[in-house]
Amino acid sequence: MPVIVMASPKGGVGKSTCAVLLASEFARMGAGVTVLDCDPNKSLTRWAGHGTPDRVTLRNDIGRSEIVPAIRAADGDGRIVIVDLEGVASQLVSRAISQADLVIVPMQPTALDAEIGSEALALIREEEEALGRAIRHAVVLTKTSAAVKSRVQKELEEQLRGAGIDVIEPSLVSRAAFSELFAYGGDLTMMLQDSAMTTGGRVDTALQNARSFAEAVYERLK
Amino acid sequence: MSGSNRLSGLKARPKDTSAQEVRRVDEVGEALGFVDRSPRKKPGRKPSPRTYQLHPKVFPATGAAIAAEAERLGITQGQLIEQMWAAYQPPDS
Repeated sequence: MPVIVMASPKGGVGKSTCAVLLASEFARMGAGVTVLDCDPNKSLTRWAGHGTPDRVTLRNDIGRSEIVPAIRAADGDGRIVIVDLEGVASQLVSRAISQADLVIVPMQPTALDAEIGSEALALIREEEEALGRAIRHAVVLTKTSAAVKSRVQKELEEQLRGAGIDVIEPSLVSRAAFSELFAYGGDLTMMLQDSAMTTGGRVDTALQNARSFAEAVYERLK
Repeated sequence: MSGSNRLSGLKARPKDTSAQEVRRVDEVGEALGFVDRSPRKKPGRKPSPRTYQLHPKVFPATGAAIAAEAERLGITQGQLIEQMWAAYQPPDS
């Protein structure tokens, strides 16, 4: 089964959120999903500490030496593998990318995120050249405005597409429900059904956004 | 998006996981600043679990002989005393 790697040397761009949303949606579709939490902040481990959706398992404490065998073992078990990486430029990141079927580079629509995120894109290109094979990759814009597409976002999308970079549609909108997943665990469906999980925003629109995002990722894995 | 049939058709592409390939990936990463950032182990000698202090005074010749034997065996004088104590113990204790 495919290996999906969340990569950006910048922290706080939404790598863990993307990982949780994809793991939840693919598990809901019936797939076994193994999530590898390689981030020292352990965001996914904290999320899983409150409870994971059915069919999702998590492994953590994976360092540079363990990443390749860990991906290989999880992949060999016939499960979709989702790797959440640390937000720094490290060998752990480069090794994980080499094992990916799809690298997703989350990026907020800001000049700084674009500049630092482009380092991940450059690394993927260099690895493709060195390994003599294509590594599928795509950018997803995160924490975007629900109301309007900003000028900066429009320009960034244009620049990325102009450079031949695949940009996932839809972007992930800034939603309270996405952030609060880490406080409650589980997935957005559970949040929708449990009134005790209060959020400041609309869970149904967040769920729709997550499903469309997962669908767009699925299309890239076919 | 629902149903598991679509997902079961997904396949991973074959990838090389040999040490040589990993080394090549490391080199490519290092050239772009993606270096080894694994946390380093704490430097220095680990504290010894041997914390009990004996205070024996022996004749100089005996002391010198024990010190020389410990050095010959490549162990500390404390470890040699532990071995001597183990040998001193009756078999059923």
